[in-house]
Amino acid sequence: MTDVAQRPPAPPGPNDPYGQVPRGAPAPPRPNDPTTFASGFQELPTLPVGDLRPAGDAGYSAPRRALRRPWVVQLIAFAILLAVWQYLTVASDRVPSIEKVVSFMWTEVTGGSHGGMLVGEFWGPLGLSLQRYAIGLAIGIPAGAVLGLALGTSSWVRGLLNDTTLVLLALPAVVWAFLASLWFGLTSTAPIVAVVLTAIPFVAINFSSGVRSIDPALMEMSKAYQVSRRNQVVDLLLGGTLPNAFTGVRLAFTTGWNSLLIVEWFSATAGVGWRARLWYDALRYAGFVGWILLFVLLITLLDRLVLRRLERHAFQWNQKPTLSFAEDWGM
Amino acid sequence: MATVLIENLTKIYPPTITYPHRVQALGGVNMSVTGNVFVAVLGPSGSGKTTLLNIVAGVETPTSGSVRAVQDGVPAQVGYVFQEPRLLPWRTVLNNMLYVQDRKSDRSRREAEFYLTMVGLNEVAHLYPSQLSAGMQQRVGIARAFLVNPDILLMDEPFSHMDALTGRSLREYLQRVWLHTRKTALFVTHDVSEAVELADRIVMLRPGGVVFDDIPVNLPRPRHPDDPAVRAVEGEVLRRFDSMEAAVRFGAQAG
Repeated sequence: MTDVAQRPPAPPGPNDPYGQVPRGAPAPPRPNDPTTFASGFQELPTLPVGDLRPAGDAGYSAPRRALRRPWVVQLIAFAILLAVWQYLTVASDRVPSIEKVVSFMWTEVTGGSHGGMLVGEFWGPLGLSLQRYAIGLAIGIPAGAVLGLALGTSSWVRGLLNDTTLVLLALPAVVWAFLASLWFGLTSTAPIVAVVLTAIPFVAINFSSGVRSIDPALMEMSKAYQVSRRNQVVDLLLGGTLPNAFTGVRLAFTTGWNSLLIVEWFSATAGVGWRARLWYDALRYAGFVGWILLFVLLITLLDRLVLRRLERHAFQWNQKPTLSFAEDWGM
Repeated sequence: MATVLIENLTKIYPPTITYPHRVQALGGVNMSVTGNVFVAVLGPSGSGKTTLLNIVAGVETPTSGSVRAVQDGVPAQVGYVFQEPRLLPWRTVLNNMLYVQDRKSDRSRREAEFYLTMVGLNEVAHLYPSQLSAGMQQRVGIARAFLVNPDILLMDEPFSHMDALTGRSLREYLQRVWLHTRKTALFVTHDVSEAVELADRIVMLRPGGVVFDDIPVNLPRPRHPDDPAVRAVEGEVLRRFDSMEAAVRFGAQAG
């Protein structure tokens, strides 16, 4: 070694009041301690955090601002849908009017008579379908998550099961519905199994791709810091998988509901699908359309009121103010 | 007392599809670091600086040779500041700090807040990394490295992606925290002024991963880049760097 600068190192003093903190020594002074920063530097100010909210609609005229509100846009879409329905009612006698459908469903809800032996029934079929759906998802989503995590973390499991899972994913919900009907007949097990089998591949594949999309640099960091296995699983693995996992779960909710309806349509003696089939067979199109609309409404409400809110909450970290094409183009 | 003992360390990367040749990153590095010193590893691109640090951190394995990083005879705890902050985007600043802690107790939370205060980020502990500037993110990375109470602190060109002003400010933050803790530090850089401003000793690597020179820097702290003494040492290091380049060029021509 060659000395370049012969100036001796600074002695402990005002510039260096700390010296070495030996292993096992008491914890360093806390931030409120005024001596904490007496290390020869002036205390550096805490930087102010700017306003992180997006600029919003400033610059648009009042009517354009109103038209850009999400609930207004949705209201317009709903009005268009009703107008198209009304037009089809006038153009074809095979399409029941809005009024007929609402009236029919009201009779179902109140348990009134549809004429002859037919009486309204609503809460029983709806409750049963929701129960089957909940049980199916409660089994299918965790099972798919475990399979997905195994596929993502183990190359051996991936080699063993990845292709099979992809094949299962490619099968349409209707196939699962028919298979479940064949295997379990007119029982409540068939719709539950159909929901489970539909949900598993969607959740598994998305969890798996989520695990594999985690930045290897973060894994290197975890290795360098010898991060505990628990923290790696909870914070890195599950946290990093969450965006894909949400996609998988949303798909499981939608396709599971579809397969439930199909199984109930073909091989059930109760439930939403069975009720829709009943009115279809009885040529009561208002009842058929009413139950199908209820089916669509429920899955839409579930998506809007539960899944999207959860998603928004879970992905706060990714919500940066961004400029969309529409804003860029002044739309 | 922490010790890093590196003996005849070699790292050869095997051919890949994109580059079908073996690459020698380190060609028999010998060095030792003992005690509470700040050592800068200086060298041009391709001299194996990052590989050296990764091997010390246990992220990569050497082809041959050995690295011992110990504290009082037991394997040392390492804190690593990477080139990029490497924060979990889905966790807040505070939770990124706590990620490297085994237990998320009140004590570890207070310690995390303490080090965030040290780097001037106590007000943003609840924000996500994407809501911070690059400089602020790197300061979180520095605070995180100190939070694990490391025996050995490794830093891999932590300011190389910063503009000059931010880099200067971050160096000041780093000096400040290091003066408080006095951890054994290995700091990789290709910036001579950065090395002189921060280090007690500068180890120069030449391309191919061989130690070319080992220069002690005995200057009082805190140091400022405008200090004439700092500039004088910088000039000397640059002169040696030139002679290294000449030796490499001459060696290549002779070979």
